Amino acid sequence: MFWLFFNHEQVRTMSRVKRRTTHPPYWHVLKNNQRQDEKISSDNLRFVREVIQDKYKNKSPIKGSDLDIEKKEWDPKTKRSGVIARNIGVQHMWEKDGKKVVCTVLHVLDNHVIRYVPPEEYAKSIIGAKVFRNRKPLGCLVVGAEAANPDRFTRQYCSLFSEVGLLPKKRLARFIVTPNAVLPPCTPLTAGHFVIGQAVDVYGKTIDYGFQGVVKRWGFKGGPASHGATKFHRRGGTIGTGRDKARVWPGQKMPGHMGSERRFCRGLKIVRINMKYNVIYVKGTVPGPTNSIVQIFDTLLPRRKFTEAPPHPTYFPPEDGTLPQEDIWDSSLHVFGSPSISV
Amino acid sequence: MLRRAVLQTFRQGLAQSFFKRNAVSLSETTVTHQPIETSDEADEKSVSKQKPGDESGNTVVVAPPEFRFMYPEFLPDPAMERRNRLKEKLERIDMLQRRSVVEIPEFYTGSVMAVTVADANSPNKFARFVGICIQRGGSGLRAWFILRNVVDKQGVEILYEMYCPLIQKIEVLRLERRLDESLLYLRDALPEYSTFPLDMEPERRLNNSVVPINPLKVKLRPRPWLERWERQNLQGVEDLNLPQRFYDKAEKVAKPWEKYDLMLQYRKTIPAEEQEKIFADVHSQLQQQEFKRKIRRRRGTD
Repeated sequence: MFWLFFNHEQVRTMSRVKRRTTHPPYWHVLKNNQRQDEKISSDNLRFVREVIQDKYKNKSPIKGSDLDIEKKEWDPKTKRSGVIARNIGVQHMWEKDGKKVVCTVLHVLDNHVIRYVPPEEYAKSIIGAKVFRNRKPLGCLVVGAEAANPDRFTRQYCSLFSEVGLLPKKRLARFIVTPNAVLPPCTPLTAGHFVIGQAVDVYGKTIDYGFQGVVKRWGFKGGPASHGATKFHRRGGTIGTGRDKARVWPGQKMPGHMGSERRFCRGLKIVRINMKYNVIYVKGTVPGPTNSIVQIFDTLLPRRKFTEAPPHPTYFPPEDGTLPQEDIWDSSLHVFGSPSISV
Repeated sequence: MLRRAVLQTFRQGLAQSFFKRNAVSLSETTVTHQPIETSDEADEKSVSKQKPGDESGNTVVVAPPEFRFMYPEFLPDPAMERRNRLKEKLERIDMLQRRSVVEIPEFYTGSVMAVTVADANSPNKFARFVGICIQRGGSGLRAWFILRNVVDKQGVEILYEMYCPLIQKIEVLRLERRLDESLLYLRDALPEYSTFPLDMEPERRLNNSVVPINPLKVKLRPRPWLERWERQNLQGVEDLNLPQRFYDKAEKVAKPWEKYDLMLQYRKTIPAEEQEKIFADVHSQLQQQEFKRKIRRRRGTD
């Protein structure tokens, strides 16, 4: 009887929407500079570096006490900023009952807030208008990560950061925030932004498999390997009925480019935070290959949201100079330095 | 220039250790089951070398080249797409933390070991298994090894993950090496080659500085086998006595050019400079742990 509940029909929506591009949207500023083969002497190169350092001298770090606290009360409907991180690999850990758990290691890069776009302005932009068509508009924080040499980038791109006094960043991301979670520009975001045991959503680009056949791409069974099958081992077979509509329906599953698409992994639990190296261990796997960039933010899933206030609007190191605990583990995990588990 | 000098000594050390292991060990050929009395076990078989370092006069401590064989799981997976220095560093810290709690001794394929694991279904909550290590692999916290034994005429193999916190104790009952890196052919060999008494006592070695190579040639059962052993260049197996067509097919299918393929070897291994850095990093901590264990043993708490 189970075949009655089995969905035989292919999903035939969104088939004509272009899912991948290699170029950025047209409203973005031109980013990368073509490297000129300039023959500069080493003395001049050193001078140029000094000029750059002077220009982008570090501002004093923003402290929690500088922020206006009356406006920044946390409530369950607050949306905090997210963070840009790199997926540096997968590590196996064990729970207290001996069960093995696959954890993804995410390295929170040197994130800084670049600017805040208030709700009214964001609702007028192309993306903002689409997102907030039928709901109350929220603000948008532009966050950058991975500082790099300004020589690589164009002047227009560098100006996005020099207004704030930051070295230009290789990656930029936008996070939708409620107005009470706004952060001033140049605020650093670290691994301490998250809480042990919280659920996060990770947004990244999946592994690029290239042009793939129908068996790998859609999970078709193909044909028999032997028993006289002539040239029919990994092919799709029939693509239509003949009678109904008398054509191939849009959305027909066929070979094509697989992967390299932006996807979310929702509700992943944070099991360990290393404050010294700015690294988060998340239970489960994350879209994308090793060493790819992902965005992490508090989960949308209603049953896994915060019940108590997290570090709001973000984590600031304690002002009395005490160092935070370096390595924080979730209570369900077995800490490696502790004695072996006896069941 | 300094780096090249350091590298040369590392590589010479590798070559020397290889010869030491293969030349001297031929004198210790017999496989004995009786414990052999030794003078004392306090000899440090691997001595760290202190090299004259930089121009400033500071010495640079380099781990002994044997570490590459003793602790192969500290080396990461060579596949470049998945390598990340920070993650490897964090993983090594976790591995050393675990090693500070449980002693994971040096062992090789062909060593007889006993592993005690916490098991809820066992009568006294701990399960102990004795067997010969037929294969080891994995890197980092995923490192594993397989122990094989024949219990009540039934061959049993168990894969243990070295860093699993359920493991209470790993003992090496007989530390030796065989002529092959993988002893999977014991599955097709006569059962006497895989049988080890479950109450076997740890054996003491004659010579602490060299791990003996057991040149035992194993007799296989008649065909059918699980794998085509004639195609695998096994050193530790007696003459297979197969019809000539098997050897002809093996020659046809063989890839003799692989031993000349430098890039293949390069991609399969971690470069010597990186290995040096990794083991130098790990060496001092391991030495400290070893030292603490020796003190505990002398006091008699074990």
